[in-house]
Amino acid sequence: MVGHGPGPALENANPLVFRRSGERPVTAREEDDDLPDAIDDREIFDLIRSINDPEHPLTLEELNVVEQVRVKVNDAESTVAVEFTPTIPHCSMATLIGLSIKVKLIRSLPERFKVDVHITPGTHISEHAVNKQLADKERVAAALENSHLLEVVNQCLSARS
Amino acid sequence: MRAGSASGSGMATLTLSCRLAAHPDSRCWFVAWSPGGALLASCGGDRSVRVWGRQGESWVCRAVLDEGHQRTVRKVAWSLCGNYLASASFDATTCIWKKTPDGFECVTTLEGHENEVKSVAWSPSGSLLATCSRDKSVWIWEVDEEDEYECVSVLNSHTQDVKHVVWHPTQELLASASYDDTVKLYREEEDDWVCCTTLEGHESTVWGLAFDGAGRRLASCSDDRTVRIWSSDEQGEPGVACSSTEPSWKCICTLSGYHTRTIYDVAWCHLTGALATACGDDAIRIFEEEPLAEPQQPTFALMAHVPRAHAQDVNCVAWNPAEPGLLASCSDDGEVAFWKYQRPECC
Amino acid sequence: MCVRACVISDPSRPAGLRAGSWTALDVVEALGSSLEHPEPRTRARGLQLLGQVLLRCHGALRHAEVTHLVLFFEARLKDHHLVIPAVLHGLHALSLSEALAPGLAVSVLKAIFQEVHVQSLLQLDRHTSLGTDFTFGFIQVMDGEKDPRNLLVAFQIVRDLVLKGYALGPFVEELFEVTSCYFPIDFTPPPNDPHGIQREDLIISLRAVLASTPQFAEFLLPLLIEKMDSELQSAKLDAVQTLSACCAIYGPKELQEFLPSLWASLRREVFQTASEKLEAECLGTLTALAACLSHAVLHADTHDPLDTFLSGVLQDCRHHLCEPDMKLVWPSAKLLQAAASASLRAYHHIAGSVLPLLLEQYNQHPQSSQRRTILEMLLGFLELLQKWGHEEGDETVLLGVRAPLCSVVFSALTDPSVQLQIVGVRALTVLGALPGLLVASDLDLAVDHLTRLVLHEEDPQSSMAAMEAAGTLAPAHPGAFTDHMVRALAQELQTEREDEGTRHQRCLQALAAVSTHPSIVRETVPVLLQHLRHLQRGSEPGDTGKTASLCRSLHRVAVQSQHDPESCSFYHQAVVPCLLGLALQAALQEDALLAPGKALLEEEALTSMVPVISAASTHLSPELAVQSAALIVPLFLDGDVSFLPQNSFPCSFQPFQDGPCLAAQRRLVTLLMAFICSLPRNVPVPQQDRLLRELLALSCACDCPFAATAAAKCFAGLVNKHPEGPQLDEVLQLALNRLEPGLAEGPRRTQALGLLLWVTKALVLRYHPLSSRLTDKVLALLGDAELGPAAAEGLGLLLGDAPDVLHRGCHADVRLMYRQRFFTDNVPRLVQGFHAAHSDVKANYLKGLSHVLNHLPKPVLVTELPTLLPLLLEALSCLDRGVQLSTLRCLQPLLLEAPRALSPHGDTLVTKFLSLTDSPAMAVRIAALRCIHALTSLPAPGLLPYKARVIRALAKPLDDKKRLVRKEAVVARGDWFLLGSPGR
Repeated sequence: MVGHGPGPALENANPLVFRRSGERPVTAREEDDDLPDAIDDREIFDLIRSINDPEHPLTLEELNVVEQVRVKVNDAESTVAVEFTPTIPHCSMATLIGLSIKVKLIRSLPERFKVDVHITPGTHISEHAVNKQLADKERVAAALENSHLLEVVNQCLSARS
Repeated sequence: MRAGSASGSGMATLTLSCRLAAHPDSRCWFVAWSPGGALLASCGGDRSVRVWGRQGESWVCRAVLDEGHQRTVRKVAWSLCGNYLASASFDATTCIWKKTPDGFECVTTLEGHENEVKSVAWSPSGSLLATCSRDKSVWIWEVDEEDEYECVSVLNSHTQDVKHVVWHPTQELLASASYDDTVKLYREEEDDWVCCTTLEGHESTVWGLAFDGAGRRLASCSDDRTVRIWSSDEQGEPGVACSSTEPSWKCICTLSGYHTRTIYDVAWCHLTGALATACGDDAIRIFEEEPLAEPQQPTFALMAHVPRAHAQDVNCVAWNPAEPGLLASCSDDGEVAFWKYQRPECC
Repeated sequence: MCVRACVISDPSRPAGLRAGSWTALDVVEALGSSLEHPEPRTRARGLQLLGQVLLRCHGALRHAEVTHLVLFFEARLKDHHLVIPAVLHGLHALSLSEALAPGLAVSVLKAIFQEVHVQSLLQLDRHTSLGTDFTFGFIQVMDGEKDPRNLLVAFQIVRDLVLKGYALGPFVEELFEVTSCYFPIDFTPPPNDPHGIQREDLIISLRAVLASTPQFAEFLLPLLIEKMDSELQSAKLDAVQTLSACCAIYGPKELQEFLPSLWASLRREVFQTASEKLEAECLGTLTALAACLSHAVLHADTHDPLDTFLSGVLQDCRHHLCEPDMKLVWPSAKLLQAAASASLRAYHHIAGSVLPLLLEQYNQHPQSSQRRTILEMLLGFLELLQKWGHEEGDETVLLGVRAPLCSVVFSALTDPSVQLQIVGVRALTVLGALPGLLVASDLDLAVDHLTRLVLHEEDPQSSMAAMEAAGTLAPAHPGAFTDHMVRALAQELQTEREDEGTRHQRCLQALAAVSTHPSIVRETVPVLLQHLRHLQRGSEPGDTGKTASLCRSLHRVAVQSQHDPESCSFYHQAVVPCLLGLALQAALQEDALLAPGKALLEEEALTSMVPVISAASTHLSPELAVQSAALIVPLFLDGDVSFLPQNSFPCSFQPFQDGPCLAAQRRLVTLLMAFICSLPRNVPVPQQDRLLRELLALSCACDCPFAATAAAKCFAGLVNKHPEGPQLDEVLQLALNRLEPGLAEGPRRTQALGLLLWVTKALVLRYHPLSSRLTDKVLALLGDAELGPAAAEGLGLLLGDAPDVLHRGCHADVRLMYRQRFFTDNVPRLVQGFHAAHSDVKANYLKGLSHVLNHLPKPVLVTELPTLLPLLLEALSCLDRGVQLSTLRCLQPLLLEAPRALSPHGDTLVTKFLSLTDSPAMAVRIAALRCIHALTSLPAPGLLPYKARVIRALAKPLDDKKRLVRKEAVVARGDWFLLGSPGR
């Protein structure tokens, strides 16, 4: 479902870089055995902020591709919506980045959740096409059975050595 | 689990009768009843096809067909005689399984599609098989007495991947649904298969199709969260005469506002006329035509709604061809469920 | 024949030959009969022995001997083919000799290539034989070789050829060709390869060849550039690493022509790569390149290659520094810093250009985040300067920009952004440590800024950084810190305001942090003690937190002063009497537990004083220690308060006497322990015998657990250091006499168990013979319905480190391997006990075992694992959460460190871990999930059968009600997904 692998030349060799947010501090409430902690936006953001960009040695957070304000979770209704912003409007990696976000969320969230991943409106020339691909679970499933694509996605999801 | 819905003609119920962990640790994509209604075939992400048979009140696994495919099995279809099973897989092949006294045996593997085969269907005569794929094509295969399959046509009418194919219940008329938001109909003309009609109207991927029992109507369901009912303008037997004018199909009804996510499948019961949908919001819904409406301007009422029919997306619904009201469904949670649909007593 | 006997019995030690008592020819003669034997196999064996002897002692061979032996072996080349391998071994051994004349080597090679049909020989013989030297023949033989075993040897030989200085003559290029065609090594060892040759072995071996001589440079460098420019990540890495190795032996001459291309490739990789490893290698190689160029001898008439090179680097990177928001700013800064770190000369060149630019940029970019990036780069350059030390490194570069640099740093310190402040503090720390850089007015200003951050900055991170900076800079500028910072802090402590809690807290921390110079310690300690007195006067019930935090500050000062004898004795004399005095004052009030100041008697307060007194006593001079002991012991035994600063008390101090109103006094025994148990072992304890008896009595008879434990610990601390002999035996007998009835029955069994545990620990640590008898008692108590659980916890106490007594820091007698010894002696008995025990108390054994295992060094545990594992697995099913938790915590590191031992139990482990993810206790769920995560480090093929099951089962903890559990589940499940999957 993705056009081609990373080519020799970077499309955007010198993107803006952003600071990483620190680890979420553990609160006394979180350490209390009895009190439930709802799944909140920050928790979802923490799942995706460390995803590696397929091209740069940077995380999606450092490239500002994902931001906490563009993450919306409703724990009670089991829905998650994430918008991501490609670094440039013609970025050919947009589908791959979206796929990585989607896969990370599917692997990390309870199965009751419906996960929607979209491009931030107005930030990519093929916004509609990419959104449609990401929403098609059949294509996503087939992509993850393609070992080349799976490898690239897994690399995006692996801890950097 | 019971669910009902108020409607003009009273309360109908959809009751769970049995639930199976059919494809554990995986998702179940599709289920298909054998023509006689005794067996149910299911397929899924675990690369296998399973065949289920009734044993008392419950259902047990009669066969596991896990040697044929290297990747997800997306759909299965029974031949009209009930002796053959076809399975379509992401591994770009379609397997034909023959029923033997001990189970099922893979007799042929159909190759040719460039990538994932998404659907397979047998024609009512049993001599034709249709497959479709992400490669945007629909293939029609001819079967001879020796179980030899020959591709007789490659139809490249869609501009995007083709999600589903279904045959008309009585004629050699084929319908396909696609990611390009359209439905296309094909028939044979002068030894050549051609696309005769394109149904436009859905605003996103069309996932599923179902003809009614008479073949006058076609239901389609879509990522746009609607079901559309299309009708042929011909009265009586459509398309029997070799007229040069094609019967035209038009949308006579749109069911919108009921579903909250993608509708993955629609099934039209040939015994009762009830319409069931499988939705990404985990629900199963049953609709029926309001009896008093005009045939060319029908309205459909929601008769039953089971909001949490499955723990995850419902991928498929299938009415049993022999037992009225028996519905099978399957889901991303790997389970298959059997339901009993009952109309209000007063009818 | 004795030589033969010696040779045959142990060819590895031809001592006689090595010692020179026999010549090599003697050996040949001794072997004579076998060397001439008509049976080729016997001849071969004789030659083989000779070859082995020569291999061990080729260093001792003389010129003439080598010549003779070579001729002898050469002649043998015509012999039966069975003999040839042995002959080649012999020639190989001889080729290693220093005494082999080059002419002879030619002859040997000629002979070999004439006589020996290389391909017909066995692998092993072929390559060992090729150790002889000759380029052309060698090239022909090596050409087209594919077997990795032969290649490994061939590479070694080429390297030897080059390093031994044989004339390569016209064959340099050909020799390079036959070796370089293998570069980069692209070899994957077959599964189950019996030779165990790894890709890495070949890479390193080939690299050693390629980087063995500058003669290869003209051929190698273009090849490396080509590989760096390829698409293959591994080829890039290999090329960069090889280049780095070459820089160590090349001169500027070899590099000159290729510098532009090399730089372009390195720059491109650092700018673009997604691999941090490759980036690091490229930076290291750039440093190596610049270092190599730095070695050039400068002539007035030629240009300096380093200058030219660095100018290019600057030209390509400098302008990126002006875009602090863009991605290339950091790669550029890293490249410049890598080049600058090559030599002082390189540093001057780069820093001279970059520092003024960065200073200018700082002022042009008003945003805090941009300024922070720029200042971080500046800091990187400042830190590089420390690399050369003050001797060599002149700070002339910095002197030129001193004023703007200071103003930039000061502006950062006053910026509202905490992140920028922190970088500013770090920069100030580096600047202040460079001698002579800051002028007096800068310094005063710097100290004022730090003081302001300490006292007034709201963000704790920033003020903490300022404190640590003060501590680092104070030794270089003690006056400035005493005059400005200490004074301000002292004043602040005296002012009372609404938010004084946190403010005072800061002051106390800062006073401790800045006490890094004797003159400052003399100022800060009285301030801290004054504040303690103030706290005690005003303290309200329950107000122990303030005392504790003050004690933490005092403790830090003590630790920082320990190694300066003057500070140490000052500190001891100022602090110890003061603390004892205050504590006594509190304890001796009528109805002490209700009086003001009682906060000082609470457990938390007293416990926080212990490390202060202990740290003030461990490094005392012997004289002062003796003197101090002579005051403090009588204080406790006889109530002699005369040495205390304020010593008029309403009643007398008798902590060891019986009496209901003395409860408060008894608690102070913990302070006695802090002092007496921290003294060096050679300091005699006055009235030791009497003291021990009193402690023993108190530990068993006291109802207050705190005082009883303090007495038991103090007793144990003294026993541990007590010299061997009848006196010690007598003391221990007394203890046993007390223990046995106490443990048997009565209201104070818990106290008796406490004493037993501490005494056992004291003896176990020093390998005392009685320790095993006492350990038996502890183990026996595991089966006790009442004391069993406490005894199980006690095993943790025996093997864990106590914070206050019986550790090396307080000079306790601690044998290195005591834990291992305890383990070997007692674990079998624990296991036995477990099997024999009644089901009610089995959990105690498992808990005890897991305590022992948790304290054991991992390597020891790994070897014992097979025998223990069944029990550990059983412990996982134990219902006691404590046992589950400690077992999981024991297994988790083992999964990472001993995957092989655990992998046969994959099935059981998966099942038990998964079932524990359902535990009602969050800590158990977390520990179980960590274990499931650790399972992924076991060999993947063994795990794949469980993959689907684990992934499915982990879906449930993903929906755990606790966030901390979900976090672990996400990590574990994510890695299970990657298992056996591409791209892992």
